[in-house]
Amino acid sequence: MGAEERDQNNLSGGLVLDSLPSYVAAAHELKSPLVLVRQLSLALDDNSISDEDRKRILRQITLTSEKALRLTTDLTKSIRMRDALFELEPINPQQLCEDVVKEMSPYFRENDREIRLVGGRQSLLLVGNRDLLRRVIMNFSDNALNYADQYSTIEIKMQTRDHGKTVRLGVRDYGPAVPADTIKSISKRLLNKTLDHARPQSSGLGLYIANQFAGAMNGKIGVTKHIDGATFYIDLQASKQLSLL
Amino acid sequence: MITHQNILIIEDDKWLAEQFQRTLELAGYKVTIANHGLDAIRCIDDNKPDAIVLDVLLTGSNGFTLMHELQSYDDTARIPIILCTNLAPDFDIKDLKPYGVKYLLDKSSMHPNDIINAVKSHL
Repeated sequence: MGAEERDQNNLSGGLVLDSLPSYVAAAHELKSPLVLVRQLSLALDDNSISDEDRKRILRQITLTSEKALRLTTDLTKSIRMRDALFELEPINPQQLCEDVVKEMSPYFRENDREIRLVGGRQSLLLVGNRDLLRRVIMNFSDNALNYADQYSTIEIKMQTRDHGKTVRLGVRDYGPAVPADTIKSISKRLLNKTLDHARPQSSGLGLYIANQFAGAMNGKIGVTKHIDGATFYIDLQASKQLSLL
Repeated sequence: MITHQNILIIEDDKWLAEQFQRTLELAGYKVTIANHGLDAIRCIDDNKPDAIVLDVLLTGSNGFTLMHELQSYDDTARIPIILCTNLAPDFDIKDLKPYGVKYLLDKSSMHPNDIINAVKSHL
């Protein structure tokens, strides 16, 4: 294990993911975007705001609404998961991740952050469901955006593991850096909590959903904590189709 | 009217923080934004604010941890705190007084001008 990768957890064993999301958790997650949309809408009533601000606020309302709609769709799919069959097929993760980057980029740009796919072009195939996998990666990306430093880049990475049997798709955020020379005694408790990756504003609903989707694809999700952020990942079975070529 | 009073907004939702900033700046306040607890402490050390607008659920630490820390020091304990949170209905302002909270705002029902009134009433 590398120096940065100090603690690696398979999330599927966690208590949060073992229990069904409550109405309270769902309401909590949906409240934040609704509150934001309401505040931004009220701001539009103010005649003193500039045209530029008005355009930005309208963009933010649209993007926030889309984020809330993603969550409601994910939640509906997750709740219906047990009754539904999801077709598994060979998927090119490179193309899927490029699509996610393209779709999420406006939201990230508006938040002064960037999202990109890192690593060279790889000929990988995995077994999964295109829609569910896309939603998992978007969910991780949404999560990363909340914790990434301003003007930082969120990276999507792909790699094979277990001698090519597994493909891992990870979303890396670069969170609050903690330079030792600036830490004062007053910040010790906060520092510990930061390194512990406490993410109290999250009810765990997004991870619960991602875990449900991963399970439907015979995969698993996990997190690797770094000194300056975290990588949330999904492991899925590699497709053998390429090896047959 | 420019007041030259410094307000620190501690809020991890960037767009909401910017909205509060826009409102307060139009009212004449000088506003700084911190997106998480550590950033907030740096801001407070650099330039002690006249009031703090604080969310409860933050990245890396929560608002109560921060308020505990601020209450530990004479100078920071005196900074009035306006708690602005989705969890406002779960709190009683009387229970929050020991944390230095002077005003409780419910994000889900507040009007943009409420933040100005809250700040004005304690400066």
